[in-house]
Parts: sequence; structure tokens; C-alpha cells
Amino acid sequence: MKNIVEIKHFRMNFGNKTVIRDLSFEVKAGEIFGFLGSNGSGKTTTLRALLGLYTPTSGELLIDGKPYDPEHSNITIGYLPEERGLYRKETVLDTLIYFGKLKGLDDPAEWAMKYLKRVGLVDKAKEKLEKLSGGQQQKIQLGITIMDNPKLLILDEPTKGFDPINRRLLMDIISELHKKGTAVILITHYMDEVERLCDRAILLKNGVAHAYGTISEIKKQFGNKSLDQIFVEVYGGENE
Amino acid sequence: MNKSKSSATFVVTRFEFLRQVKKPSFWASIILIPVMLAAIGFIAFLMNSDTVSKVNQYDEESVIAVSDEANLLPAEAPFLIDGGREAGLNMVKNHEADLFFFIPADFNESKNIEFYHISEGIDIFGSESNAIKVILNQYLSQNIDPAVVTAITGQFSVQNNPLTETGEPSNALGRAIVPLAFLVIFFLFICLFGNRLLMTVVEEKENRISEMILTSVSAKHLIIGKILAMCLLGLIQIASFVLPAITLIIIFRDNAIISQVLSIISLEPLSLILTIVQFSFSILFIIGLCTFIGAISPTAREASQFIAPVIVGSVFPLYFIQAFLVPNPNVMVEFLTYFPLSAPIALMLRSAFGTLTTTQLLIGISEIIILSLLAIRITIRTFVKNAINFNLVLPTFLTKRG
Repeated sequence: MKNIVEIKHFRMNFGNKTVIRDLSFEVKAGEIFGFLGSNGSGKTTTLRALLGLYTPTSGELLIDGKPYDPEHSNITIGYLPEERGLYRKETVLDTLIYFGKLKGLDDPAEWAMKYLKRVGLVDKAKEKLEKLSGGQQQKIQLGITIMDNPKLLILDEPTKGFDPINRRLLMDIISELHKKGTAVILITHYMDEVERLCDRAILLKNGVAHAYGTISEIKKQFGNKSLDQIFVEVYGGENE
Repeated sequence: MNKSKSSATFVVTRFEFLRQVKKPSFWASIILIPVMLAAIGFIAFLMNSDTVSKVNQYDEESVIAVSDEANLLPAEAPFLIDGGREAGLNMVKNHEADLFFFIPADFNESKNIEFYHISEGIDIFGSESNAIKVILNQYLSQNIDPAVVTAITGQFSVQNNPLTETGEPSNALGRAIVPLAFLVIFFLFICLFGNRLLMTVVEEKENRISEMILTSVSAKHLIIGKILAMCLLGLIQIASFVLPAITLIIIFRDNAIISQVLSIISLEPLSLILTIVQFSFSILFIIGLCTFIGAISPTAREASQFIAPVIVGSVFPLYFIQAFLVPNPNVMVEFLTYFPLSAPIALMLRSAFGTLTTTQLLIGISEIIILSLLAIRITIRTFVKNAINFNLVLPTFLTKRG
């Protein structure tokens, strides 16, 4: 299967601090890839560098064979960042239409109404975003991320702050996109989500890949323990 | 699925434009501007009484000549000359007299005294004319019977006729009207849009939208889209006071003052083009500066701390406007003319008052063009680098050591 993401010997320093030492991995087209690590391990930094928001100290980060540039890229990307917000004074519908136009949708208004109906927010279409709850705003952010059926979907802790019902809704949406051929990079601290959704994963520790492969390969490497147990084993000592 | 570059810019422009015009504060400022302008005009009118400083331009050694065809003054008065208007004009041209008053034969009907002197100064609010009346009054009182003076000066108007060094009629005011109008627009743009420009760039960072939007549109198209939106809003703002002003001028075109002003407006094509180029790039430079501040600042609050020095620096030449009026500017004026922050207004003032050579003007305009393009370029680069830094971060070229 073709690699949609290739990261080769990526190193990232911030001043004298090295966040990523030497990281290499690939994400294959159409797979769901778990990007795991404790808080501050460099997951978000890696994704930002992959999307051209940070300049790597060294190494190559490629999407579809080349460094990502929204101006010249032929591949559609959906990115739900960890630090996320919206134009608080704008209405839900105006915001969705704006991003829809930026992403090249033919009829963003129609798409927006369909999506709002699906996530139960159709009655909020004319509301200003600041009037919505945190969870409702997250649904809008997710909508923006997936609206152009991206070939690569990058989700940085997408279920943070979601109740179980909305978590399930999000999982369903990810599954649907996966079936359509979207590759997904999923950062999460919920190991059940990884077990349920991911084909392969990487565990990032001390700026390098601590474990990398299919979920079953990783489990095998740790004596067939559950991912929860593996996570605690790998990162448990960090908070002591 | 990919949007073309220009289309992405247009989408950003449309979005930013519409969200600004939906704000009540925008329309409040639209209404406030004509009111503010009227207030400024009123204050300027009141300042018309500032004749003392004008009178002081002429000292006791100034040579005054009067030609009295109405035979109002005693024949022995020392300042009287023969030969009428032509003789007096020649005296002024040849620097034999500093001031020349011509009292026409029909004075009793017209109540008008003509006044000639060499001046490139601008009698914007008639303060020079008022000063002239005071001078004439004082001078006559010193030399002839006060009763006669009272009889003459009880009711009369002065027709001010400034001359160039070569003795040609000077139209300094007529040449300055259009550039000064652009300067007023520029000044208002800075005051009204400086903060708005900041907000529009800071907002993405403050609301944590940067990462999401920068994977949908490049920073370049985002910033250019925002700048275009601001330019459109600026045009609306400008139209909000230019159109009422034009309407009023058309309605009251027969008014003596308005028709006189209209008659002296000088519109030379080349200087008009240079003024428009200078104005456009000055606007672009200020936009670049404000958006740069927005790009390096993590929040609107921090950004607003930086905008004040920019605005003060930009309007700084206006505090020394008197120094810009003289034909041979001092070192400070020269410095302000080419110092990046003050250059736009300083150049506008000097080109309005005609104290710049064509070469100096072209150098100044070139500087502003380079500065504006540089400011926009740096802003785009800084915005990309700082889009996800939520602390104040200066661009590398400002922080690099050794």
C-alpha cells in the first residue's frame, strides 16, 4: 500500500531543548494510524512540522511524497488540532460556509445543513458560535475538518471533552471516512479508541519511536498485554 | 477540489469584509467621521483669529508701499507711491517693498483693498488676510491721522494676492488642496483602521483558529485577503465623508468661499498621479505595519500596546506642521521626511506645501513603495512562523545575534 505520510529522521529542537531526537515512520493510504505518547512527548510538534507549521531542525516530513504546502498540495487534508477555536462572533452556518469555500466545496451551505442535521445542531445554524457549548463547538470544528472528504485526516485528541454519546458519533464518522479510503492519524489517550479503530500505531517516548507496528505486533512486543497496560508500563514512570 | 489561489484570497476578503460591515462599531465610525470633520473644521475656523503670529512675520523694518487711487490718504503720507498698481507690483517683484497695498479708485463702492507680497505660504483659513488688515491698520495709525484711518478701515475687505519669487501670482493654496485632502484621508485611515487591522490578524491566534485555517489556506492568501478586505472597508469609510462633502460643495457651489476655493484648485496630472501613488503605498505601508504587529502579538491586548507608538510615530510630523511650511526645511523636517514611520505624512505635507524637489519626492515615494512591500512580506512570513506561538515572538531577523 502507498505511503501517504513519510517521516524520516525527524529532529526538532526548541532552543537548547530537543523535543524529537530521531523519529521515522510511515502512514499508509487508507489506514487508521494511532500516534501515541504521554503529554509533552512531541506528538503535536510532529504533526505541526508535518503540516509545515514548524520548520524541522533536520529530517524529512512528507505528505504524498513532498513537504506539505496548502498552496501547492494536490491532496486534501483535514486537521483537527489540539489547540482549536473558532470565530466566536460568527454564526455556525457562516463559519461552515466560509471554511467550505476555502476548501473548495461546490455547495458549502447544503453540506453545512446536512452535517448540522447529522450532529443534531441544525437548530443552532444561525446562532453565534460563542453561544454554543464546548462540545457543540467541537462538533463544528470536526465538521470543518472533514467537510472536503480529506485523503488524510489528522485528529489531535478529537474526543477530548466529548461525552460518551458524542464520542461514539465521532468514532462513527471516522469509520465512515476510513471506509471511503481516508487515511487517519489519531492522537488520543483513550486506548480503547486505538484498539477499536487503529490498524497500526507508534508509541513515542524520549523523542524516538518506542514501539511501532500493527496493534497486534505492539501487543506481542509487550507480552500480549492490553494497550492500556502497555501505556502505563511505558509512560507510568514519567510522572513519578 | 483545490481552490485556485486568487479564489482563496477572494473568499477570505469577502468573509472579512462582511463580518466587519456587520459590526455596529463600523457603522458608528462611519457616522462619526463627518461629525468629527465638521468639528475639526469648526476648531480650525476658530483658530482663524490666530493673527498675531502672522503679523509677527513682518517686522518694523518691512517696507510698505501703498497706492491710493481713491485719494483717501493724505498726500504727504510717506508710504504713498505714484504709478498705481503696476509700480507697486514692480517694487514687490524687485524686493523694494515687502508689502504693497492698492486702494482702487472705486474703493468707496467695493470696500476692497488689494494686497501684494511674496509668499509661498498658505492662507488656508484666511488668517493671513486677517493679519494683513491688522498690519494695515497699525501702519496707517502710526503715520496718519487716526480719524482718517478709522474712516478708511471701518469697513473694508482685503484681496490677498501672494506672488512667487519671480513675481508671478502664487497658487500655493490651490496646489496644496488636493494633497492635503489625501493627507486628511490618510490620517483618518490610521486612526480608524489601525486597531481594526490588528484585531483581524490577532483574532486567529487569540481564538486558536490559526492551525485549522492554515491547513485550508496559505498564510499569504489569508493575509492578502484580509488586507484587501480592509482596503474595501477603508474605501467605504473614505466615501462616507468624501461623498457628503462633494454633495455639499455641489449644493453650495455658488457660495462665495466655495466658488473661490474651487476656482483656485490646481490639478496637474503628474502631481495628481504622484499623490495617488504616494497615498496608496502609504496606506499599504501602514496596513503592513499594523498587520505585522498583529502577527507578532499573541493577543489583542498585547498588540494594542504596540499600535500606539506606531500611530504616534506616523502622525508625528503633524505636531511640527509649522516647520513643514517653510521653503527651506530644517534638519528635523528632513529626518522626518525619510524616517520610515513618519515618512508617509511628512512627504504628503512637503509635497502639499511644495517644499520638495521632484527628485526628493521620487526618492520618498520609492522609499514608501519599498517599505510597504517589505512590511507585507515580513508580515506574511511572521504570521506563518508565529501562527501557533501563543507568546510574543519577534521575527528571526530582529532577534538574531552576531
